[in-house]
Amino acid sequence: MDSLAAVDWQAHEEEAQRAIASAATADALEDARVRYLGRKSELAQALRGVRDRESGMLLNGIRQRLEAAVEERRAELERARLDAAFAAGDVDVTVPGKHYPRGRLHLLTQIRREIEDIFLGLGYEVYEGNEVATVWENFDALTSDPGHPSRSPADTFYLDENTVLRTHTSPDQIRAMQSKEPPIYLISPGRCYRRDTPDATHSPTFLQVEALAVDRSITLADLQGTVLEFSRELFGRDREVRMRTSYFPFTEPSVEFDVTCFLCGGEGCPVCKHSGWIEMGGAGWVDPDVYRNVGYDPDAWTGFAFGFGIERIAMLRHGLPDLRAYWENDLRVLGQF
Amino acid sequence: MKVPVSWLREYVAFDLPVEELARRLVFTSCEVDRVVRRGVSDAGGNFEHFLVGKVLEADKHPNADKLQLTRVDVGQGAPVQIVCGAWNFGAGDTVAVVLPGGVMPGGEFTIERRKLRGELSEGMILSERELELGQDHTGIIVLPGELEPGTPLADVLPIGDDVLEIETGYNRPDLTSVYGIAREVAALTGAELAPPPGASDKVSQAGSERVDIRVEDLERCPRYVGRLFRDVRVGESPPWLKARLLAAGMRPISNVVDVTNYVMLALGNPLHAFDYDTLAEGRIVVRRAGPGEELVTLDGTLRKLDPEDLVIADAERAIAIGGVMGGEDTEVSEETTSVLLEAANFEPLTILRSGERHHMRTEGQTRWEKGVDPHLAPQAARYATELLVELAGARWTGEAEVTAELPAPPVIPYRPRRAEEVVGMAFDDAEQRERLGRLGFGVASDFTVTTPTWRARDVRREIDVVEEVARFHLEAVPATLPVRQKLFGRLTRFQRLRRQVEDVLVGAGFYEAYTYSLQPDDPDPNAIELPEPLSALQRVLRTTLATGLLGAARHNVDMGNADIALFEIAHVYLPTGTPVPDERWHLGGIVQGDFFAAKGAVESVFGALHVEPHFDRAQILPQSPVGATVQSGWVAQHSPLVLDGEWSAFELDLAELFSYVPERILYRDVITYPPLRQDLAFTVEEGVAAGDLAAAAREAAGEELREIRVFDVYRGEQVGPGRKSVAFSVSFQSPERTLSDEDAARLREAIVTALRERFGAELRA
Repeated sequence: MDSLAAVDWQAHEEEAQRAIASAATADALEDARVRYLGRKSELAQALRGVRDRESGMLLNGIRQRLEAAVEERRAELERARLDAAFAAGDVDVTVPGKHYPRGRLHLLTQIRREIEDIFLGLGYEVYEGNEVATVWENFDALTSDPGHPSRSPADTFYLDENTVLRTHTSPDQIRAMQSKEPPIYLISPGRCYRRDTPDATHSPTFLQVEALAVDRSITLADLQGTVLEFSRELFGRDREVRMRTSYFPFTEPSVEFDVTCFLCGGEGCPVCKHSGWIEMGGAGWVDPDVYRNVGYDPDAWTGFAFGFGIERIAMLRHGLPDLRAYWENDLRVLGQF
Repeated sequence: MKVPVSWLREYVAFDLPVEELARRLVFTSCEVDRVVRRGVSDAGGNFEHFLVGKVLEADKHPNADKLQLTRVDVGQGAPVQIVCGAWNFGAGDTVAVVLPGGVMPGGEFTIERRKLRGELSEGMILSERELELGQDHTGIIVLPGELEPGTPLADVLPIGDDVLEIETGYNRPDLTSVYGIAREVAALTGAELAPPPGASDKVSQAGSERVDIRVEDLERCPRYVGRLFRDVRVGESPPWLKARLLAAGMRPISNVVDVTNYVMLALGNPLHAFDYDTLAEGRIVVRRAGPGEELVTLDGTLRKLDPEDLVIADAERAIAIGGVMGGEDTEVSEETTSVLLEAANFEPLTILRSGERHHMRTEGQTRWEKGVDPHLAPQAARYATELLVELAGARWTGEAEVTAELPAPPVIPYRPRRAEEVVGMAFDDAEQRERLGRLGFGVASDFTVTTPTWRARDVRREIDVVEEVARFHLEAVPATLPVRQKLFGRLTRFQRLRRQVEDVLVGAGFYEAYTYSLQPDDPDPNAIELPEPLSALQRVLRTTLATGLLGAARHNVDMGNADIALFEIAHVYLPTGTPVPDERWHLGGIVQGDFFAAKGAVESVFGALHVEPHFDRAQILPQSPVGATVQSGWVAQHSPLVLDGEWSAFELDLAELFSYVPERILYRDVITYPPLRQDLAFTVEEGVAAGDLAAAAREAAGEELREIRVFDVYRGEQVGPGRKSVAFSVSFQSPERTLSDEDAARLREAIVTALRERFGAELRA
């Protein structure tokens, strides 16, 4: 009790608070802490001698306030030190960071995934069939005429008289319809093969995507709407599409699809050859004879199909002009996309 | 096909600007690649400068031996004086004149008044070549004398024309003719269509000579009309005819040949003219080629004929490959006076195969291959007769026709509302009837539709009729979406896992490659080879991705690229003993670095898929220093013989790999009771595999050994020769209780004992 009485604790606390507040460095702060809160400090010694509740509360209160003050001052000094360190500007932030290896998906895979995702969003499945097809799957079932020039061995790779490397993804239409009941909504992306000598705009191997919808009362207008949605997702919301008459053995009516040029918006530019329109691909209302060939009732089911080339989209969108570059796998090219 | 617009207008008087017509045809009928202006432009009244003139005087230029000085009446007051370099005309001739201000074809050169060797020249007297009417530039055009001076030249000669360059579909043989295009234009615009040329004979037969035509293969040649002409004067065609042929992209040859080509372009039925006097016994036999038969065709090539070729023969020998090309010996020449005109019909497949066999591609073929209307042949014969009589002074003296029974045109019960059901927009019944009528379809009151003969191959069913109506409204089709009862918008498990594999490898620094399915060679001797490859580089359907990836890596090395790491996901084609291979999705990779570079990539893929890989040493690649099998595939280091430096590769079968992927991951408690971690190092003989030690440790310690991982392999003095030290980091954990130090000691002892007993392993620390 004597010691308690002998010290003016209020003055002591004020003195300690001043010392803490005026500590200019972490070391000075530590010195102040040791002096006022350390094991040998007056406060600590007094606390050890406390016997009554009142004194205990008084001294503990002082200790807690001083400890809080020390912590606060420590944080203040640390903030000031960090600010000063940043202000000193001795770190060159333009030096590269730690290197983590990172590769790239091939451009054609990126576009393929984009197309797949658009159609997944429209409620289509992704159907992947084999690349070797029977002549029946690739031509006959698609009601291709025996005299159609695409059947010529000059255009098609035959493995034997009944077997070809598929010339389009359309055999997947046949396989899908043979293996499941309608309704069908699918896209079929994949490699196709034609006897074209490789040059900047021809490749004997190329990638196609084909969409097939088979359901009750599907119309040409549904085809137009689906192509429009797809084109807008892929090329931007402002796009418009148009259909022109065409011929494919497995659709009737058959059309070609154009989309307004996404570079010039339809004004005309070199990419759209100043027409304002870009040719997208072929499409049509599924020919009833195709249903007959796969065992669907042609009076009950209706549908549309459309197909286009993945490389063409990549060429248009990214300006990579030479098809051969897609197959050379030069890291300087792959790394750009 | 090139369609001169002036010719088109002869059959249909549409009043649309040509560009607008082209734009609309693109929607309704055929591709129009472009519209080309030929000859003299009519822009800005340019045609006014081109007139018929009558030469009043023509004398030698006083100052130049090679020039003529002429005075020409051009119907405009005083005659004009023109200096001219040609001498094939004189006073009294009627000629084509361009006056000052006229812009010549090409638009580069404008005629001006100017002095030539001191004499004023107020225009130019024109040659065929200058007007792009022909190839002849030796002399100027001499026109028929009855033309009035001052008549606009454009009324007399097709001096300027727009040409539509059209691509026709496989299903539209009728559009390979100017008249066929005219029919479309009439249906499109509502303009009136002129009656077809050759609808009836305009000249009568002048004689009754027998023409001997025998068709032995009516299936391949269902129709053959032969007409005989005498007193034929083979010569040059008139300027208008040459101009049209040139505008349509064909070279004028002689009046007789030009007529056959002109009628083909007009109507779409290819014709041929034989020199009748060269035919043995004056006979035509249509038959298959005999064994060993040969023919020198018009292009001077000796063709060895195939028994599948359909030939036109005389009594002794083949004289033409039917529908493809005529023979040299029976060609019409300047000496020809008797002509046998062939107007036939050939089956498309026969022509297609012969063309392929002999690597030929003629204007005629492209039409036959689409299936020419067999009803056209007599019409084409009549029109050609008219022109031969008019232009070659010929006398038509005989005719014979052989014809198979021709199929009746399709008759189709049509429901007009079907158009709306298919297209998704309303169609007016009356308009459908009108449109079909304009296209030549018969439409009965109950809407039974009869297809015209020229569309009989293509329009056979109700849906085909719908297309005929719908194609004129494609610009107006609304955009709707299917009403769905069922949705499928999800990738399959296989597709999701495949994307995951791609992303893992990209994250690990790999670039995705696309290499060809067809490779020059394959390690599997049974790999499927193309019977007729495009080149030796694309010959075999691959059974492995390794070859293509090796090529891609090599290309990158050649390009000077560093840090090469490539992967590919694609089909391989495993031989099955049948022509149809077993197609499997493979993942292949190649990376700069030793075995462990590729192995690390494989471990990343397995790790991402929650599959524990097991590697077993194996010889995978030839001369490979190290390789291993792993579930669903392999990892190996390439021999430096195939690619300089250290390269490693891997290949996995994705379907098999994904079969190991757990369907569902069950939670393991790793929070409630803490793990105990220890390091254990063993010395073993060099030949002992670290993976075998780990496997044995797992077996010995059981479930409570949560994790065991190699973190160091050391060789050196401390472990002695022929031995190595393998250090493991292990973690013991139980889902049921906190493991004590005694538990850890027990587990550790179990491991140490097992490894000592099975591998002679000694615990180091």
